[in-house]
Amino acid sequence: MGQIQLIIVTPEQTTLDQMVDAVTVPLIDGEAGILANHAPMIGRLGPGELRIRAGSSEERYYVDGGNVQVESNVVSVLTGRSIPASEIDVAAARAALEAAENESATTPVLAEMKQKSIAQARAQIHMAEKS
Amino acid sequence: MANARALDKRRKSIRNIKKITRTMELIATARFKKAMDRATAANDYTRRITAVVSDLARAGLEVSHPLLEAPDETSQATLLVLTGNRGLCGGYNGNAMRMGVKTREELIQGIPNVRLEVSGKRGISGFKFREIAIDESFTQFDDQPQFLDVEAIADRYLREYAAGNLHRLDVTYTKFISVAKQVIVNETLLPLGKIEGADTPVDPDVANGLVSLYEFVPSAESVLEEIVPASFKTKLFKCFLDAAVSEQVARMIAMKSATENANEMIKMLSRTYNRARQSQITGEIMEVIGGVEALEG
Repeated sequence: MGQIQLIIVTPEQTTLDQMVDAVTVPLIDGEAGILANHAPMIGRLGPGELRIRAGSSEERYYVDGGNVQVESNVVSVLTGRSIPASEIDVAAARAALEAAENESATTPVLAEMKQKSIAQARAQIHMAEKS
Repeated sequence: MANARALDKRRKSIRNIKKITRTMELIATARFKKAMDRATAANDYTRRITAVVSDLARAGLEVSHPLLEAPDETSQATLLVLTGNRGLCGGYNGNAMRMGVKTREELIQGIPNVRLEVSGKRGISGFKFREIAIDESFTQFDDQPQFLDVEAIADRYLREYAAGNLHRLDVTYTKFISVAKQVIVNETLLPLGKIEGADTPVDPDVANGLVSLYEFVPSAESVLEEIVPASFKTKLFKCFLDAAVSEQVARMIAMKSATENANEMIKMLSRTYNRARQSQITGEIMEVIGGVEALEG
């Protein structure tokens, strides 16, 4: 089976650029697995776990939402933040969750932002507890 | 003729200062390179975002978002001025301050409520000196601004904008064009106006579904909803990065000319010192000869 190139870009740097066998990205409405020769796609990411399989090893990253673009066997993930699962700061995530829950949401847009921060914090805690 | 010893002392102290300015120049050069690398890395992200936006536009999506359109009224504005935490960098801080004060005055004329936010200790003390009240200040940004810190600020602006408490955001900072050229600019970041790549012409084949360029998951509109705020955040982040790079360049140049000036001064002083020493020796010889002649006579 062929390999695909995975590039994770954050505004600060290109976090990752390597050939992988398969990558699972957290879309906003569920996960999507991407193998070689995937059809061109642009997807919206939600906060969650990005899994990479290369050979027999599996790596897990937390991504903060963003976009994914698949084109001619290149997967580019554009995200605000990507952290390896082992480096997640659970205490900070819990604090962020609490802060987000106490926020007032008076308009629909604000409510949406609040939901997003809650989802981001929850996803981090969930991932950290799993490992 | 000046005292040779005093001249020598002065020369030594200049030499010490020269060592300091020379070191600062080297440090600024190293920091500049690092900051420059980060700025280049950020460009990659911006480029990819632009590519996605132009793909969306090509697929016939009307690029529209609340952040892109001007609100009905503009009564609340925020001005963010980016300065450095440290001095000794030539006109960098002074210029940013002057531009900030000017922009603030212009804004106040048209908008009743103008909040002033300042990043950098130099700017904070500058505004305090001018007796202009600062609503919010940041000092955590040095030569390597973190995206996380900038994002926190950006999120606050987005929230206030969404709640209707902020209608316009201006940023005054030093834009980095090249090592030889940096300009102080004032940019309006909110409303965003347009995002790059949005004016890509619609490809009729793609729009009518004859050729499918991309599969949008879950939909093109949803993807756009994610991209517009991201684009704003990157733009703000870019301002901070540019300011950081410009500060290092300014310091590098200022310290370089300081070192050169010190060299010049040392040269001048050495000349005077040698002359003074020579005349002192001549004087002493004259005295000796005078003494000998007196004994012979």
